[in-house]
Amino acid sequence: MRRDTISRRQALEQVALLLGGAISAPTVAGVLSPATRRAWAASPAWAPRTLSPAQLELVATLAEHIIPQTDTPGARTAGVHRFVDTLLTDHYAATERDRFLAGLTAVDGRARSAHGNVFVQCAPEQRIALLTEMDAAAYASGSGEDGWFFRRMKELTLVGYYTSEIGASQELHVSPFGVYRGDIPYASVGRAWS
Amino acid sequence: MISYDAIVIGSGITGGWAAKELTERGLQTLMIERGRNVEHRKDYVTEHKPAWQFPLRNARLAVGTQGAQEYPIQARTGQFHESVKHFFIKDHRNPYVEDTPFTWIQGDQVGGKSLIWGRQVYRWSDLDFEANLRDGHGVDWPIRYADVAPWYSYVERFIGVSGEKLGLPQLPDGEFQPPMDMNGGEKFVKAGLERAFPDRRLTIGRVAILTQALNGRLPCHYCGPCERGCSTGSYFSTQASTLPAARATGRLTILPNSLVHSLIYDAATNRVTGVRVVDTNTKQTREYSGRLVFLCASTLATARVLLNSKSARFPNGLANSSGVLGRYLMDHHFRVGASGVIEGLLDHYYQGNRPNGIYVPRFRNLGDDASRRSDYVRGFGYQGGASRQGWARGGGEPGFGVELKRKLHDPGRWTMGLTGFGECLPRADNYVELADQTDEFGIPQLRVHCTWSDNELAMRKDMAASAAEMLEAAGCKEVRTYDANRAGALGAEPGLAIHEMGTARMGRDPRTSVLNAHNQAHDVPNLFVTDGACMASSSCVNPSITYMALTARACDYAVAELKRGNL
Repeated sequence: MRRDTISRRQALEQVALLLGGAISAPTVAGVLSPATRRAWAASPAWAPRTLSPAQLELVATLAEHIIPQTDTPGARTAGVHRFVDTLLTDHYAATERDRFLAGLTAVDGRARSAHGNVFVQCAPEQRIALLTEMDAAAYASGSGEDGWFFRRMKELTLVGYYTSEIGASQELHVSPFGVYRGDIPYASVGRAWS
Repeated sequence: MISYDAIVIGSGITGGWAAKELTERGLQTLMIERGRNVEHRKDYVTEHKPAWQFPLRNARLAVGTQGAQEYPIQARTGQFHESVKHFFIKDHRNPYVEDTPFTWIQGDQVGGKSLIWGRQVYRWSDLDFEANLRDGHGVDWPIRYADVAPWYSYVERFIGVSGEKLGLPQLPDGEFQPPMDMNGGEKFVKAGLERAFPDRRLTIGRVAILTQALNGRLPCHYCGPCERGCSTGSYFSTQASTLPAARATGRLTILPNSLVHSLIYDAATNRVTGVRVVDTNTKQTREYSGRLVFLCASTLATARVLLNSKSARFPNGLANSSGVLGRYLMDHHFRVGASGVIEGLLDHYYQGNRPNGIYVPRFRNLGDDASRRSDYVRGFGYQGGASRQGWARGGGEPGFGVELKRKLHDPGRWTMGLTGFGECLPRADNYVELADQTDEFGIPQLRVHCTWSDNELAMRKDMAASAAEMLEAAGCKEVRTYDANRAGALGAEPGLAIHEMGTARMGRDPRTSVLNAHNQAHDVPNLFVTDGACMASSSCVNPSITYMALTARACDYAVAELKRGNL
């Protein structure tokens, strides 16, 4: 038995309700209530559960070098280091977590032998030089353990940044709900969808 | 003991349909579900959540990760993500023995896998219904396309299917809502492919997702991840479609958290008189009686119920006088195909998360000389799609800093992929049986033995090569083939396509099949099986709409027989 077909107006009201009234300015960010936004804002009480403070600073520094602040915030502001700590604590198997932590130690080892300091205490140009070396080596064949770590660090930075609210909706666009348009001029969008 | 006109075991795609059809025909119906209740809208707890609201950013929970600890089997599918894990069963609740690698993906809730299914819907044709007869594998289907065609239409009009009519005999057209758009990359490949191969077509996926409002359900709003649940009811699920219809009759009772142990059989009348269930919370056993039983528990769960329903008359499982119950298990074989890069088109983009891809209908072994293969029988189709690379590409190439960020501000190149879905032959040595071990509810576990045959393996070579050949002919560059199958190991093992079917096949002869042309047990007239277990062959197209059509058809027959006093 067919049930009554609802009117277009009712349909739109229903969608508006479900999407938080976001039809006219439809971004996913737009559907969040202020309370939800506050709950998800960086909390001052946050503390790492796997990384030491020094390791946390190292991850934040590496991530910010990979995706720096430009006209939009970079990886540190987007909290990539917190995301990495969460993954290490709640997602990775112990062996993978230890492998990543060993990779962090190796970065400091490399910085010490090149410049006599741990990575975060190296001068910015020294850090860039180290990263340039590591980056080039990571994508050469037979790059070994250092290559694994650097590629992983870069991947985590990209995931952590571009799935953050900042990366997804300030640097890139969140695709709006409503319609699918299969073939539109790129110029009408101007940024990648996140 | 509480008594009903009909008992439906399972609440997924076929259980929901059986409940709707039986209640609408006036039967007081009990629908039994092993899992928890899931209410439409209210229990779609991750719907529309942006990635940053997930602690792991909606990570894939692969085997070995902490989130997969209670889900070592479920985590084998690429569908298993942080956002949907609550719609998959915890594996300790459904243990089974793998003689050979076999991945059994299950829901554990009202709605079953209808909440998380792939939503691709393609009619079978007589190429499929006549396949066993033509090449001698399996037994002949007792039905033909003409028997099912009106029921396909009936189902399509109710669930809502969007798609494009093609006029192909091997992939009959249906009652379609307007198709979804193809993107620029897909249009490019379509044009090149159809120019190079006039006998092949590339079309938008036929999908049980609305592009127009239907029965109070709204057209798709293209948020993307259907499998989290859809408050607008835009894709077919039990909750969005069949359950409201069944409830509206006032004749439906839903019994969640209740795992069926076995069916109760009365030899004097040769009828099933009820079911024995275990309450999954208290582990207490209860019984319910009914004049009619529809088994819609999903292929393997249905086989398990029948095998565990033993009596003096049926010592090897209910309705198993043929001895074939549990045998002729099939799944589609996939994770094989090719991908390539489309050069240019950098001024083309798209908007919205289209929960659908493209489809290339079967073009091998169509019955004519031109399409005949000497190295295998049956055929395959492709699913796939084109997209522009996103930010993740940055992890695969050198570069960091401002330059990398600037590069990832724009989408990357277009890529196009084709994944084959191939038919699997019905073979007696692919089977399930009861194991010695029981589960935590005291029910014997299943032991599964299932491997790909040489026919499937030969077909896979063609599936990879033909995908590459078409992409190259269409003008793609850097074309690469892949095949994830690893003999005796995980990769593209049976079960992974989640199209498992067979084990209680339909057939013309009670000596070689379990069910007749109406999904009715040859041996026990008031017992019907309408989920994937009933299938006598597998075709290469996604099976769910065929299960739905067979269910509706069987309900129509069963109620008529009941009213005639024959059950």
